[in-house]
Amino acid sequence: MEIEANNIFDKLNAAVTLLERTVASLEQREALTSGDVQRIVAAVEHGAEVSQREVELERKLAAAEDQIAELRAQAAKISASPRKTLPAATTQLLAKGGITSLESIEAGALDAALAGLSLEQRIAVKAQLIRAGTLA
Amino acid sequence: MRLEALAVALPEVAGHPNRVPFEGVLTLVDEASNRPPSGARGHRVILTRAAAIAALPSLLGMAVDYAPGWDGHDARRKCGIITQADVEGNRLEVSGYLFGKDFPEVEARLRDGEVDTMGMSYELADAHVADMNATVWSLTRATFTGAAILLREKAAYKGTSFRLGAKRCRTMGLAATARQERKPAERPGRILRHNHRQTEIGKEAQWR
Repeated sequence: MEIEANNIFDKLNAAVTLLERTVASLEQREALTSGDVQRIVAAVEHGAEVSQREVELERKLAAAEDQIAELRAQAAKISASPRKTLPAATTQLLAKGGITSLESIEAGALDAALAGLSLEQRIAVKAQLIRAGTLA
Repeated sequence: MRLEALAVALPEVAGHPNRVPFEGVLTLVDEASNRPPSGARGHRVILTRAAAIAALPSLLGMAVDYAPGWDGHDARRKCGIITQADVEGNRLEVSGYLFGKDFPEVEARLRDGEVDTMGMSYELADAHVADMNATVWSLTRATFTGAAILLREKAAYKGTSFRLGAKRCRTMGLAATARQERKPAERPGRILRHNHRQTEIGKEAQWR
C-alpha cells in the first residue's frame, strides 16, 4: 500500500515538473514572438557581436586586397612581356621568306617575305603579327 | 511639411546660472536606423511617425545623460532636461536645458569640441515591434525614458545632432526663439501662465 502511494507521488511529482517546464518554455516563446521589447537604446552596442563582425570584415578586406595585388601583378607581367606566338602556318610562311626570329622584323624583309601573298593574306598576317606584339 | 509639437513651460528666470539651452535631433522617424541599436537583437529599427508622436508626452521632462567616453548612455549621469519636442519632417527635434553649473566639464566639452560631431540617442521602454521576424524592426509603440548626448558615430542614427545654444537662457531655449519667429497665426497659442506646468499639443493643421 505504502509502495503504491510512493509510486503515485513520484509520478505526480514528475508530471508537475514537466508542466512547470512546459509553462516556462511557453512563456519564453511568447516573449520572443509577442513583439514586446523591454528596452531599446539607440546607441551602438559595444560587444562581441560588433567586434566579431569587425573581425570578419577585416578578414574579407585583407583577402580582397591580396586578390587585387595579385591581379595587378599579373596585369603588369602581361604588359611587360607580350605574347610572341603566331599560328604555325604564319610562322612557316615567314620562315620561307627568311624571317626566323620574331624579335626584330624589318619592314622591308617582311614585305619581301609576303610578296607572294594576296592583299587580304598580307593584311591577315600583319594583323596576326600586331596581335602578337611583334609589329607596332 | 508636417509638424507635431509638445512643450513643457518652465518659469522664466533671467540669466539662470544652471540652464544652458540646447537643441538637437534625437532621432529620425519612419526611417531605418543606420546600425542596430542596443537591445534590438541585431536588427535595425524604424520608429514609426505615429509611435513617435504618440510617445512625445513621455519625452518631456526626461533627462539627457552622457557617458564619460561619449559613446553611450549612463542613466546615472543626468546632465540636462528635455522641455520641448517636435516632429518636423522626419526629424524628431528636442530642446531643453543642460545643467551647466552642475556639469561644467560637459558644457566645456560640448562647446570646445569639433563642430558637428555630436549626436543623440533615445532610450525606449515597452516598445512594441510589428514583426519580430522582419529584418528591420518597426516600432509601433514605445515610451521614451531618456536620451543621451554622444558622439554621432556612436549613435544608431547618423542623422542625429546636438548643439548648445547661447551661454545662459531665459526661458524655453532655442526652440522658443524659433517659435516666436513664426507668425502668430501659424503657431499654437503660447504657454503664458508661468509657474504652472503645462503641455500643449500642436495642432497639425496649423503647422503645415
